Amino acid sequence: MTRLRLAGGCLLAVSFAAGAFSDSARRGPNMIVGGYRVLSADFHVHSFPLSWGTLAPWDTVIEAHRRGLDVIAITPHNHVWVAKVGRWYSGVYSSAGTGPIVLAGEEIVSAQYHLLAVGIQRTIGSNQTVASAIDEIHKQGGIAIAAHPLAQYWPAYDAEARRKLDGAEVLQPIAWRSEDLAGQLRQFYESAHLTAFGDSDYHGLGPVGVCRTYVFTREPTEQGVFDAIRAGRTVVYDRGRAYGDPELIELAARDGRLPKLDPTGQSTGLSVMLSRITGIAGLVIAFFSLGGAHARN
Amino acid sequence: MLRPGSAYSTLARQPTTTGMWLAVKRPLFLAFLLGCTISLITSAGLNWRLASSATVYWSYVPGCEIAALGAAVSLRGREGLSLARTIDLFFMGHGPWTLWLIGLGAIWSFFPPARAFAITSPAWLYGALAAVIVWSAWIDFCFFRFGLGRDRGSAWRGLLLQRLISWSLVILVIGAPAIPSDLGERLRL
Repeated sequence: MTRLRLAGGCLLAVSFAAGAFSDSARRGPNMIVGGYRVLSADFHVHSFPLSWGTLAPWDTVIEAHRRGLDVIAITPHNHVWVAKVGRWYSGVYSSAGTGPIVLAGEEIVSAQYHLLAVGIQRTIGSNQTVASAIDEIHKQGGIAIAAHPLAQYWPAYDAEARRKLDGAEVLQPIAWRSEDLAGQLRQFYESAHLTAFGDSDYHGLGPVGVCRTYVFTREPTEQGVFDAIRAGRTVVYDRGRAYGDPELIELAARDGRLPKLDPTGQSTGLSVMLSRITGIAGLVIAFFSLGGAHARN
Repeated sequence: MLRPGSAYSTLARQPTTTGMWLAVKRPLFLAFLLGCTISLITSAGLNWRLASSATVYWSYVPGCEIAALGAAVSLRGREGLSLARTIDLFFMGHGPWTLWLIGLGAIWSFFPPARAFAITSPAWLYGALAAVIVWSAWIDFCFFRFGLGRDRGSAWRGLLLQRLISWSLVILVIGAPAIPSDLGERLRL
């Protein structure tokens, strides 16, 4: 048993060492296309606690930086408290000027719809219509994005709500689960003149920013991001498809760099592979060595 | 894990040490496992910074379980076992959850995200989760029945109380603000 524990411990130590070796921030695209500074953004991120997320706000900010994101919006369910913690921490973390811009937000979750409020200061209640929630978001200077607008949520988005919306998620990880779900997101996006968003709806499964929005800003600041969104200057890529401003899609295609970026790509370096193999093996061995007689019975 | 009744009968009769380490070693392992799984899922490897940080704040899960176990056990007294030994025996029954977490970590670290999302579709995820919940409930029932020597009815009551308290606390911390809306959505209210 002691040998087994030792083996598990050694494997875990190797895994952590290999993980530390590969623990460096990915550089964002940091590119200028057609005079715009293109920022890589994820506007739908959940944190621990109170939002069905696994990472605390500080870890979320660091992970976003590691994944090369320039902008994230932390959007807890029906409150803004955790988002404000993340925004505060980003001020500390980004003091060297390297971290992402963190926007405080909320995912307004009601039984009829899910709506992202990005760039707000106070919690917006969920017990109201979409149109009235959007009014409140705009009063606070924020932007309103339809979160994963699948067919079940369409009845809540009446004509008034669709006219007031700033944007809709046209890409979400749920789109990878079935072509039908992907089609529903596309259909909603195409039903109104909306700014395109690709968000990870990050709850902890997979890396943050696995779906992302490229924002074409005049300046890489918070205000620059809001101005770009209100002007509809975003592009989203999904498996050969592109959504967003057609002129910007064309511009990016001529430039060639942006469509080649793959945020879904997994690290395949030797140290990462070593870390995951030894990590899994180490945990299994540690479990059986600790389980003792009970594990054998 | 496969024959928890006989395992707990044997284990409860075995002489053992007592003390703080016995009480905390398995709960600490569970917290460490949660931290490592989060790291594997998020960064596809074991990242010391991420795993250690997540271990600290996810240690509230074993904390809630110990509090709930304390409540379930204290209603009937300690039943001949020290609290440390009771905690140790109870956390021995976490095998199904441990394997489920390691499996989840393996899927998310070895498959590209798009593929992993497809594999862990809600039907698959909830199906596996349901199996783990039932398996784990059976093991914990055996803990109350054979580890603590209770009769059948009392063992079921102990299990239900432990689950009610620990799961309520865990779920409240993870997602309290959206629970009423989530329920409304699922019940189509």
